[in-house]
Amino acid sequence: MRLLTLLLSLVAIGFSCFAQPTDWDSLRQQAKGQTVYFNAWGGDPAVNSYLDWVAGEMKQHYGVTLKVVRLADAADAVKRIQSEDSAGRKDNGSVDLLWVNGENFHTLKQAGLLKDGWAWELPNWRYVDQKKPVREDFSQPTDGAEAPWGSAQLMLIGNAQTGVKFPRSAPELLAFAKAHPGKLSYPRPPDFTGTAFIEQLLIVLTREPQALRLPPDPATFKQVTAPLWDYLDQLHPLLWRGGKTFPPTPARMDRMLADGELLMSVTFNPAHVDNLIDRKQLPHTARAFGFAQGMLGNVHFVTIPANARAQAGAQVVANFLMSPQAQIRKANPAIWGDTTILDSATLPAPLGEQLNAQKPAHLQAVPYLPEPHAAWVNALEKEWLQRYGAK
Amino acid sequence: MLCVQDCTITRNSRSLIHALNFTVSAGEVLTLMGPSGAGKSTFLSWIIGALPAEFTVTGELWLNQQRRDTLPTERRNIGILFQDALLFDHLNVGQNLAMAIPAAVKSREQRQHCVEQALENAQLAGFSRRDPATLSGGERARISVLRALLAKPEALLLDEPFSRLDQTLREQFRQFVWQQVEQQAIPVVLVTHDPQDIPPDGQIITL
Amino acid sequence: MSLRFLAWFAVGCVFAPLLPGLLMMAKPALMPEIWQALWADNQWSGALLATLNSTVISVAGSLVLCLVLFCGLWPGARWRRYAAQLPLLLALPHVAFASGFLFLFADNGWLTRLCGISFHLDEYGMGLGILLALKESWFLLWIASTQLNYQTLSQQLTVARSLGYGPLQCRIRVLVPSLLPRLKWALLAVVAYSLSVVDVSIILGPNNPPTLAVLAWQWLNDADPQRVAMGMLTSLLLVGLLGCFIVLGWILWRVFRRAVGRFSGQRHLLNIQPLASSLGLVMTATCIAALAMLVIWSMAEGWFYPAILPDGWAFSGWQAAELSPLGTTLLLALASSFTGLLVIILWLEGGNPRFDLWLALPLFLPALPLVAGQYRMLLILQQDGGWPGVIWSHLLWVVPYMLLVARPAWQQIDPRLVITARTFGWSSWKIVCLVKLPLLARPLLAALAVGFSVSIAQYLPTLYAGAGRFTTVTTQTVALSSGGDPQQQAIQALLQMLLPFIMFIITLQVGRLLGRFRQGLR
Repeated sequence: MRLLTLLLSLVAIGFSCFAQPTDWDSLRQQAKGQTVYFNAWGGDPAVNSYLDWVAGEMKQHYGVTLKVVRLADAADAVKRIQSEDSAGRKDNGSVDLLWVNGENFHTLKQAGLLKDGWAWELPNWRYVDQKKPVREDFSQPTDGAEAPWGSAQLMLIGNAQTGVKFPRSAPELLAFAKAHPGKLSYPRPPDFTGTAFIEQLLIVLTREPQALRLPPDPATFKQVTAPLWDYLDQLHPLLWRGGKTFPPTPARMDRMLADGELLMSVTFNPAHVDNLIDRKQLPHTARAFGFAQGMLGNVHFVTIPANARAQAGAQVVANFLMSPQAQIRKANPAIWGDTTILDSATLPAPLGEQLNAQKPAHLQAVPYLPEPHAAWVNALEKEWLQRYGAK
Repeated sequence: MLCVQDCTITRNSRSLIHALNFTVSAGEVLTLMGPSGAGKSTFLSWIIGALPAEFTVTGELWLNQQRRDTLPTERRNIGILFQDALLFDHLNVGQNLAMAIPAAVKSREQRQHCVEQALENAQLAGFSRRDPATLSGGERARISVLRALLAKPEALLLDEPFSRLDQTLREQFRQFVWQQVEQQAIPVVLVTHDPQDIPPDGQIITL
Repeated sequence: MSLRFLAWFAVGCVFAPLLPGLLMMAKPALMPEIWQALWADNQWSGALLATLNSTVISVAGSLVLCLVLFCGLWPGARWRRYAAQLPLLLALPHVAFASGFLFLFADNGWLTRLCGISFHLDEYGMGLGILLALKESWFLLWIASTQLNYQTLSQQLTVARSLGYGPLQCRIRVLVPSLLPRLKWALLAVVAYSLSVVDVSIILGPNNPPTLAVLAWQWLNDADPQRVAMGMLTSLLLVGLLGCFIVLGWILWRVFRRAVGRFSGQRHLLNIQPLASSLGLVMTATCIAALAMLVIWSMAEGWFYPAILPDGWAFSGWQAAELSPLGTTLLLALASSFTGLLVIILWLEGGNPRFDLWLALPLFLPALPLVAGQYRMLLILQQDGGWPGVIWSHLLWVVPYMLLVARPAWQQIDPRLVITARTFGWSSWKIVCLVKLPLLARPLLAALAVGFSVSIAQYLPTLYAGAGRFTTVTTQTVALSSGGDPQQQAIQALLQMLLPFIMFIITLQVGRLLGRFRQGLR
């Protein structure tokens, strides 16, 4: 009798080892009742209320309790994941789902701290627009460790009421600065948006754009970036406070724009203008615009750490975030306005039309320019700080 | 000459001191006696100008033909000695004494000289650099008398200054105080509850 | 179980993460390439200048303000009236005050709209220094009010006055020398805070380059390990800077002692009470104005330069405000402050005062390495994400502040009272409970209020030890402050202020109640 019990338990253990759910239904079953901790940047009230809606939907339709952990910076969660790894915590981690892109993803992926290959298995992956850079982040392959959530593009914001003609290229920007000295600026790197602004200038000014697809080579770095530094040397004296200091965040610049201290602000969300106008943080004559050649664009993702506790729940949430219903609501400028990563052509007709209809009202659309390789961020920041980081 | 006219001190409409009248001439010691809580210390605090806000007072204080009760403490030129020696702990003995010297003494050497002389007078020569916290109770008491008198006050108040000292010390200290006071020839008001403290041939008022 | 063992055990439990944190910080100091990278970086010299500037203004300013107000108003009804305002002034968290201050004094701020005056606040850390000077002066005043023995000092003051010295002279020669040593720990905390503050520096401070603390924080948050090491090294250098300030303070104290002992015999009747009253009024007015700014912003819709009042009013922000974090915050703060009280009582009774400086270390070190060390320990013990873990992690910051409030008062207990109690045959425990604690009721209540506020203000410990499970008003505020919505920020700042304000009022009232029936406790 005892031998039988032993044999049976061994068989049961053997089965449970192989019982990894690969199909969607069993994943949903597993997810039911789980609590998913979604660590996301909490600085935008529009994003926060959108996520509150998502939490409601998850509870109602999937039985998953979604708890949003609002962070000031994704690095707060990254460091936690790294601490857990160094303490040997291989499961039951504190972060189930993380809103991330770029440098942070790079860091975690290289350290092997992310769950791989799950994003492509999700049912809603078939709707994703493959023309967008959804399989790579900062020119690095994702290996299915990230599920795309939305699309971002660097845009400039200005107030049309001031009657000025918005610059549509780098030389025009310089001329604009000459015509309106002390009224322009950009966020100080290493602020994410500030660095992106510098990258944007680099993309349009460099004589060797193909070098940006690869990591920066110390031998050619100077050559590739020379036009950028020349440009900035001319631009800075014309900036706000003579280029001796820079606003710390794009949010601060929005305020300065609203108060007329600056004529332009920058943002990564093209619909940010609509949000701000809605919340009466900007006058209704504000517009988002960009260079005619195109503006830097990227996709932002959600990722699941390898040691996440509620892995099934996290995947179900990620799938929902990619669903047409959630993406349509997200793209609505009155709610958030974040551009979708879905291809409306792959959706059934009414949904596809609905998706297309969600366009930011106060925006002049411009082409997407792909982002440089992830390593350029660090290199550019370092060089910028070295040249302009002190008075 | 110190004159108190019709002093009445009340708190919460209960009068502590009622229509007190007296005159003390130079070199004379007036003793105020009474049980604890009779208002003796409160009365002294009125004379010195530090009466707490909860008391109301009527009456006049005259010293050497000048009205003093309308002046702030620092202009009354009346010295006071409390039960505790109240030497300033952050200053040494010499600095404690130097603090009292009037502005008329200009130079540092002169002030130093005054201090040394006073200390010698009290058989405390060489104590100038000592830390007050290291002194015995009797030494501290003597220095606080010296300090009060170095300021050349026009009158001196003593608020039970002997009660913290033992019998033998008390006697010595008493003699020391009367001797110092005699040298200065100023009116003195003494508050005590011990009959032995009363100097010979002085006025006594019992509250 | 002996009291000493308990004391060391309690303190050991709370301060255990210090050691790994310190080791983590000390490692880069041994690597010469990090020193080289630091030297090569062109930001640190400007950052050092900005840091020194803001710290000197903050410390000197707060001390001067504290002394002027103290000398001008103490004792008497005016002082009591002013001291009654201190809970409001202290309860306003630094970040909230800084936001309000910015709304008031920025280039497009309210004052500029009202009368056209504009200061470039962020040049050289001036605005930061001034704000900290204001806020810390209230802290110093409050510590002073809980430390002083009214009886002895007023008699000493009377003696000095009877020697002919005017009000200001008396106070400088008599009061200040006995006050300053009692403020020693509080001043240390002020210097440490000014050197290491990050969130206020981001709001008000210089930006290009930022202060050393912000620079270190940016580097510590970076993905590049070399930058992280540079951040650790900079934090270590900040501790070194603190050491320099301590030495400087000691020298200045000696100079002051010498000067105070020299008497030229000159007496003058200078009375700074009118100056102190008006200064106090201006300072309180600034605080209330900053608060008013926050209140208006929390309900404003469409407020652009140069309008003096918003275009429209909306309560939607308040209606949508989440109040559930308040409950979590309250529970955490109550648990941390009471546990902290227990720990400091054990340490005050059973511990060695010589080690107090080590216990004050969390005040000077950056939070991130310590928090990472704590998180590691919790992970190993499988206690992350739970209430005990978060409370334990808060204690590392709550206990030092509570200690610095309670230690001076503990040292002032008359040993003869203890000896008398021993002659009754009372055990150590009984003496603590029946003699020492009632005597120190007011300072301990003050310590409780401080510990409560410190717990509320914690962001990184709540986030890490709580593994993101705990949402407090501070985590909300910090997350929102990384964005830009002034309305939301104002609402969160006001919510953040609510709990400490109530706690300070409660402790003040309880203290008053105790003092009403026992004058000796006043």
